[in-house]
Amino acid sequence: MGRWLLVFVLGVIAILMVSPLILTVFTSLKPTTELVNPPWYPPFNLTFEHYVRVWTEGGFSRYFFNTLVISVIDALMMILIASLAAYAMVFMEFRGKIVLQVLFLIGLMIPVTAIVLPLFQIVRSFGLLNTHLGVIFADLALAVSIFVFMFSSYFIGVPKALHEAARIDGATEFQIYRRVVMPIATPAVVTTALLEFLWSWNDLLLRLLLMTQDQMRTLSVGLLNFQGTMTRDVTGLSSGTVIMAIPVVILFLFFQRHFVRGMTAGAVK
Amino acid sequence: MAGVELKNLSKAYGDVEVLHDINLSIADGEFVVFVGPSGCGKSTLLRMIAGLEEVTGGDLMIGGKRANDLSPRQRDIAMVFQSYALYPQMTVAENMGFSLSLERRSKDEIAQKVQEAADALKLGPYLDRKPGQLSGGQRQRVAIGRAIVRKPQVFLLDEPLSNLDAALRSETRVEISELHQRMETTMVYVTHDQVEAMTMADRIVVLNAGNIEQVGSPMELYNHPATEFVAGFIGSPKMNFVKGRYADAVGAATLGVRPEHFAIGAGDNTWEGKVTLVERLGHDTILYVKVPGAGVLTVSLDGQHDQQVGETVYLRPQPEFIHKFNDNGRPVAA
Repeated sequence: MGRWLLVFVLGVIAILMVSPLILTVFTSLKPTTELVNPPWYPPFNLTFEHYVRVWTEGGFSRYFFNTLVISVIDALMMILIASLAAYAMVFMEFRGKIVLQVLFLIGLMIPVTAIVLPLFQIVRSFGLLNTHLGVIFADLALAVSIFVFMFSSYFIGVPKALHEAARIDGATEFQIYRRVVMPIATPAVVTTALLEFLWSWNDLLLRLLLMTQDQMRTLSVGLLNFQGTMTRDVTGLSSGTVIMAIPVVILFLFFQRHFVRGMTAGAVK
Repeated sequence: MAGVELKNLSKAYGDVEVLHDINLSIADGEFVVFVGPSGCGKSTLLRMIAGLEEVTGGDLMIGGKRANDLSPRQRDIAMVFQSYALYPQMTVAENMGFSLSLERRSKDEIAQKVQEAADALKLGPYLDRKPGQLSGGQRQRVAIGRAIVRKPQVFLLDEPLSNLDAALRSETRVEISELHQRMETTMVYVTHDQVEAMTMADRIVVLNAGNIEQVGSPMELYNHPATEFVAGFIGSPKMNFVKGRYADAVGAATLGVRPEHFAIGAGDNTWEGKVTLVERLGHDTILYVKVPGAGVLTVSLDGQHDQQVGETVYLRPQPEFIHKFNDNGRPVAA
């Protein structure tokens, strides 16, 4: 009885979570004539015309490229910066270490929305408005604290003796980082790559704020094109959403195992 | 190869000094063992020699050069850790050749040196395996191999056998001794196991509460302990200490008798007691005897004996082997 109840509750939750995705996919594949049907009707005549339209006329090919460039660079840079900072915090002794830790902690506590305006001013003062670099710098600065803590919690689990053995073997700190510590930190690297990629891929606020020119736009901003004050292109919006979601879903399917391991690192000994 | 010299060496963590004014000279090629109870500072002292702990006072000399401020890599030392500390993502060969690859030696040279070390340690068949696929004993041999491949000036070993089972421990102990004889490199070895210290060392350094209690050869320490602490620490089973009338009778505050220095049999000057426990080891028989006025004494008899629990026995300490200590735990002058 208990088991059936559990299956029932989980089933209801699963349906609630999955149904918007299914409805979006249905809508994106329906010919315009079928839009009069209720949204939960599956498409009777499959069509990819909306995808083609969004990809070409809607400018999604360029938006896709922009998003991909920003997200990939974000993820790679975040792995490098956060892991180096966490390495220093965990394995090295230096003056001002506590101050740095407190600064990272403060970075965790401040919501992006609270600093949007000063951030805009800073990016503008560097002349980086409407550049990919401006968004990348802002992304990195805003999320680096979280990933420093994630890497730190992983590195704390690395036996200190490994670091000491490498020092005795004659390795410099950077050699220990590159050849001893990072090769065993794969779960943390994968988690950082996925999470940062995902956040960067989905972010709307910073892209809307820092990149106003059409040729610099990303997918999340591009989706707004299908939604005016008085009108809404439902099929365009749906197929654009699916285009935006596909890479993320594929990434998760591939790296799910690593991802879960990285998220729980340091939770238990 | 090089000697190591510690001159008035001290170590403090904040206001707490854990090693006080250590003076010690380790000769080139010597095998020295630091021994002492947990928390006595022996591992800290070894880590200071390695460069893993900062020296807060005094001078540390390696090969005649002051090494206080040198990084571990500049000291030309190698260390074997208690936990092995093998790089899990590297194969045995990569682990052993890691230090050489950092020195940018050629691949051929690295392969040759790794092979030599692997042959010496019987690790040849395992060179392509990862540490996780090896047994504890094999991992420890890889850790030793990683150290010898560099031919360092000084070898440091931090309780390298404590994670091994008893049989493997004695086997590896012999291997390390043979290795030292072959390589003739200075070795500093830390252990809390006095049997390891006695069997391997040229000289033993007994540490207690951050001080050196005594430095000497195993037999010097066994026969002429400089303090009551050393007398109690060196020897297994440990020395019996008796106070009260038996000590007073020989003019000492404490009388020390090793378990193997009791004879059994009635006669003059014997101590009467009752057997409370018997351990029969085959080559030895250990009796625990409750002697009124002396407490429970340990008696080790050669060979097999048939004493039973509850039996009355008469113990006769052999006068030429007794140790007399004064109130300060120092030997009473003869």
